[in-house]
Amino acid sequence: MVRAGTSPCRLPLPACPSILLALFPGPRLDQVVNQVALYVLLALGAAGVLVALPRKGLNPQPIGMILAAAAGGLLVLLMSLKAGEHRPNLFFYIFAAVGLGSALRVVTHHKPVYAALYFIMTIFASAGLFVILSAEFLAFALVIVYAGAILITYLFVIMLATQSPAEEESEVLAEYDTRAREPLAGVFVGFVLLAVLTSMMFRGVDDLPGPGPAGADQSLLAQYPGKVMAPAETRPEIEAMPGKKFAAALDEQKVRNIEAVAYRLLADHPGAIEIAGVILLMAMLGAVVLARKQVQLDEEAKARHAASLASEVTRSEGAR
Amino acid sequence: MTAALLAQANYPAPMHGLTLAHYLFVAAAMFAIGLIGFTTRRNLIIMFLCTELMFQAAGIALIAFGRYHLNHTGETFVIFVLTVAAAEAAMALALVVLLFRRRETLDAEEWQQLKG
Repeated sequence: MVRAGTSPCRLPLPACPSILLALFPGPRLDQVVNQVALYVLLALGAAGVLVALPRKGLNPQPIGMILAAAAGGLLVLLMSLKAGEHRPNLFFYIFAAVGLGSALRVVTHHKPVYAALYFIMTIFASAGLFVILSAEFLAFALVIVYAGAILITYLFVIMLATQSPAEEESEVLAEYDTRAREPLAGVFVGFVLLAVLTSMMFRGVDDLPGPGPAGADQSLLAQYPGKVMAPAETRPEIEAMPGKKFAAALDEQKVRNIEAVAYRLLADHPGAIEIAGVILLMAMLGAVVLARKQVQLDEEAKARHAASLASEVTRSEGAR
Repeated sequence: MTAALLAQANYPAPMHGLTLAHYLFVAAAMFAIGLIGFTTRRNLIIMFLCTELMFQAAGIALIAFGRYHLNHTGETFVIFVLTVAAAEAAMALALVVLLFRRRETLDAEEWQQLKG
């Protein structure tokens, strides 16, 4: 309970639990986007996603995709109109459209292999967003680690873990891929979460300490964005610099993005790196142990297997 | 005009809150899509792909905030997110293969007796 008088919220009410703030966002949200338009468009997007999710029978996926894309695009456009000169540059729109569109396709595609490939598109789009945000090192790390390693593992597993279609039959989709589980409830929960997230975030945007607050490294601006190379004449010195001297160089913006990230990582989170190493080791050991385990088919699965074999035999006999 | 749009003409500059809001919206929307996929799809592999989508969304938000606050802490955190995602993928896929060998299906609803 929030006591009157000590209430941290800004509404002119004696006491308002902060949940009310989420329900009645007020004019502060309007600075980012028209709130009526926000909720209407989110509802439209929810309807689109609901239509696009796989289900049995009539399933007009393209219509749902177009609906969802139109809602999302319109919402971002409205935000940009409000933002005026502060709108992000053109590449943001391209990468955001590609990223969100293929994310939607990951969720709605019937075939797991295509879902994984669309996920790679999402990875590339977010790597593009990272580059716009001047995080070059992570953009490349993302493409290498995700698109190069993790997704290939996924593809291997998808190929290991799918039943091959019986001969002479064309490929049939598994039943569990063509029917979503409780799509209405899932979409409702997801978009309510999105509505709450967006209204809370947008409300808070002008509450943030200004860009580059006191204590932040204003000089870092000079290396933003895309200044991948520092001036050539400063390189040799920096590479030989230990510890404190490097921190000074960081302040004088003579370092590249990757060097700055490495410095932050090693100076601020040395313990976390060790823990990350242990996590990776344990994951590797765990995966090896799990994969080596001998498993028998369940009784149930055995029975199903036998039944399908029997039906095949009778069918072939009937054909003969 | 086009040149100003294409080149990052007004950069380097502090990022305005309204610009940040765009990136946050993309992150939130991607997270919501991942959540919807996780709750509605029944294929175990696609469910894990959707968790990776949610990791992505968190990464975009972290990096956008890092750019806004002009420090590199957001980027260092994304490195840890990548680590955890890799570990999670390895474990989850090993489990999926194990489950598949037992029942020869990827349907999550086949494993309902797992709920406590």
